[in-house]
Amino acid sequence: MKPVAFSSWNGKIVDGRKGQPKGKAKAADLGCPVPKEGQKMSALLGWNGLVILDKDADIPSLTLAYLKEARKLSCGECSVCMIGIDRVTALLKEMAAGKADKGALGEIEEIAKGVAKNAKCNFGRASALTPVLDAVKHCKADFLALGKGARKLEEKACSVAVTAPCMQACPATLDIPGYIELIRNGRFSDSLTLIRERCILPGVIGRACTHPCETACVRNDLDGPLAIRLLKRAAADVDLQAGGCGLPAPKEEKKQKVAVVGAGPAGLAAAYRLRQLGYPVTVFEALPKAGGMAAVGIPDYRLPKDVLNHEIDLIRRTGVDVKLNSPLSPLDWAALQKQGYGALYLAVGAHVGTKVGCGGEDVKDGGFVQGAEFLRKASLGEKAAPRKKVVVIGGGNVALDCARTCVRNGFKEVEILYRRSRKEMPASATEIEEAVEEGVKFTYLVAPANILRQGGKVTGVECLKMKLGEPDSSGRRRPIPVKGSEFVVKTDLIIAATGQKPDTAFLAGKSKVALTDWGTIQADAATFQTNVPGVFSGGDCVSGPATLIEALDAGNKAAKSIDAFLAGTPFAPELSLAGLDTKAQREKGYLAKEAAAEVSLMDPKERKTGFAEVEAGYTAAQAMKEASRCLRCYRLMVWE
Amino acid sequence: MVAITIDGRKVEAKDNSTVLDNIRNQGITLPTLCYHQEVSPFGACRLCTVEVKANGKWQLATSCDTPVTKGLEVRTGSEAAKEARALAAKLLYSKYPGAKAVRDIAGKLGVAVAAEAEDENPCILCGLCVRACREVVGANALTFADRGLGRDLEEPKIDFDPDACIGCGSCAFICPTGYVCMETTGDRRMIWDKVFKMAACSVCGRYFAPEDQLAFISKQTGVPLSALKVCVSCR
Repeated sequence: MKPVAFSSWNGKIVDGRKGQPKGKAKAADLGCPVPKEGQKMSALLGWNGLVILDKDADIPSLTLAYLKEARKLSCGECSVCMIGIDRVTALLKEMAAGKADKGALGEIEEIAKGVAKNAKCNFGRASALTPVLDAVKHCKADFLALGKGARKLEEKACSVAVTAPCMQACPATLDIPGYIELIRNGRFSDSLTLIRERCILPGVIGRACTHPCETACVRNDLDGPLAIRLLKRAAADVDLQAGGCGLPAPKEEKKQKVAVVGAGPAGLAAAYRLRQLGYPVTVFEALPKAGGMAAVGIPDYRLPKDVLNHEIDLIRRTGVDVKLNSPLSPLDWAALQKQGYGALYLAVGAHVGTKVGCGGEDVKDGGFVQGAEFLRKASLGEKAAPRKKVVVIGGGNVALDCARTCVRNGFKEVEILYRRSRKEMPASATEIEEAVEEGVKFTYLVAPANILRQGGKVTGVECLKMKLGEPDSSGRRRPIPVKGSEFVVKTDLIIAATGQKPDTAFLAGKSKVALTDWGTIQADAATFQTNVPGVFSGGDCVSGPATLIEALDAGNKAAKSIDAFLAGTPFAPELSLAGLDTKAQREKGYLAKEAAAEVSLMDPKERKTGFAEVEAGYTAAQAMKEASRCLRCYRLMVWE
Repeated sequence: MVAITIDGRKVEAKDNSTVLDNIRNQGITLPTLCYHQEVSPFGACRLCTVEVKANGKWQLATSCDTPVTKGLEVRTGSEAAKEARALAAKLLYSKYPGAKAVRDIAGKLGVAVAAEAEDENPCILCGLCVRACREVVGANALTFADRGLGRDLEEPKIDFDPDACIGCGSCAFICPTGYVCMETTGDRRMIWDKVFKMAACSVCGRYFAPEDQLAFISKQTGVPLSALKVCVSCR
């Protein structure tokens, strides 16, 4: 990669336009956006600075293009940002027309500085005119040449990218500041429409998402993140309370049919997007319920099934044909092609529990069950008969869901055994807190070694104490068994929730779809196509067990790729901004502290009596208030 | 009460009051366009910008939406604060040269304002009407039109929902530029291009309020409609 000619990224000036700059001068080292393989970039104006790769780049024209895009993102609410952008644009055009007075550049600088210091939101403070200030400062001669008629100001079509720390953290890249702004303005149904552009299960995700966006929220450094998940839930709830508006019908009807295997989030997302593009879509679901892990993995107290069913129903009403109790096993792609299917999307999820690695786990006596299977049966109406004591092995959300389901099923004692400490536990902090409130006992640094049985019945589990060693490949400290520390935990039932993998038995035989060494389906990272042309795959069955929102994203992306495949057009994946520090901004300004609005949780005693939803959502008024905390940290980049 | 400092003077501020409340209580004038004591602060016009000391550094902050906190130091007359207010006024004036309210404030803040200007009544997006309708009236007939990612270059505007409007006129009353205009003649009132039928007082016969407004109040309070059909003077 060639060194940059100039960079002001993050306020650090590297100028190599007259000879080589000293020290690090490659875009990657400076932390600024870099062109991807095969992408052309001569210069970039981004929220955090100006980067020039080709010293002959036309910076004034690029500045004009940047201003135009900034104008679209400026909300116009405060007096400085949008009017400032307009004023700077006018001054630039006056200069190019030779009508500006001498002070024009000075006025641009004054406005740019003033907007950065005193705009209402972070778009104004951090993005609106920051690189414009850098451009007029560091490419002054180019702008002066404009005024003398030695240069032309051109309207150019440039590449544009918009992100935000929350958007970048979201696996599906939802326009989070956008839908929050709509909620703030009381436009709940518009907000929901915007959410659905990338998340077709808003009520589900608004309840059960792991919300990495909140971890990325800029307000974390001040008074805690926006309750983004709850705001999404509010958009869905307010709409549902008003009767629930439908989804748009496809604008055209295409002939080629698409088959989807699995009606989980990935399958439903792909099916809906393809249906919107006009393809007739059939979803084959093996279980008697649609929704995948959202239906049979997440218990009702976290995700009431009427919310899920409503959202699936809306998808079906657009014409997606969901066939329940319809496993395609063994898969016969040739036969499906004969029926007129042009493409197939495999989204079967990861529903099979992996082995714990302790003695006696292969005995099928009902005393040892897999977590995913336990939850699936519970969701399908096969309630486990309550016993005195149950031990759940594992530290993820599945383990917590099993434990809390057992509490509700009337087990007297519920204990979770986890081989590392609370700090390394992958389950969400809220779930752990709620489980503790419900009386679930947590025992850390313990791993099972042997399942003990007497007279064909499980009586306990022999365990080993663990200590933490060096971090492993996951970055968490590796548990190491303590020699001679064996002890017994008495129990009537053991639930193992230490991991899941896809059930790929249906691929044996004719399908010829290749698997990875981990037992997941092999699919191209960019196109999601498997080794069999026309057969695509995504979601948990490709990635291994992941989150609902990652599965939705996989489905969204696969739909685009499948559409390109069927239309015979080249597939261009979305621009990836991975690795870019979007949190960095030069002007932060003063912000008054204001904690997030809290929601009420059901009383723990009451929770144990059934599967009613634990968390209350925001009311419309609460949601609007919470939404007003959003700083709108849109980050804009324009390059050519 | 919370002890704060404004321009070096110790001030006992009420709990939950804003910096602007206390500045005005001190007799310091800071003209504003988007602030009204009856509605929540909005921080849009940036004309109330002052400096507050946070993390040992003086920083600009809009006083209307900055709550008082123990020991907060505020200065209203610093160069940085004055410059910020002047820039806001200058930009507002560049956009709305015909609005009297903008011209007056810009002139006070040292912006060169043309002596002659054609009178105009533009919407300056201060949001007072939206907040008054939502927070004081509760009718929610006004909302900001949608902006943000994927939107176009159109001017932002206020959306009016004629089905929700009760014709009370609060928006016209609170509007600083006269953009929202209301005309009442006889038994008709027109506002936001919607025509309302006025109710006559059952005692004196004077037209005093739109029928939709009385129906709204009756629904909100449970007071029978017949009891509301008497004007304030005859009650």
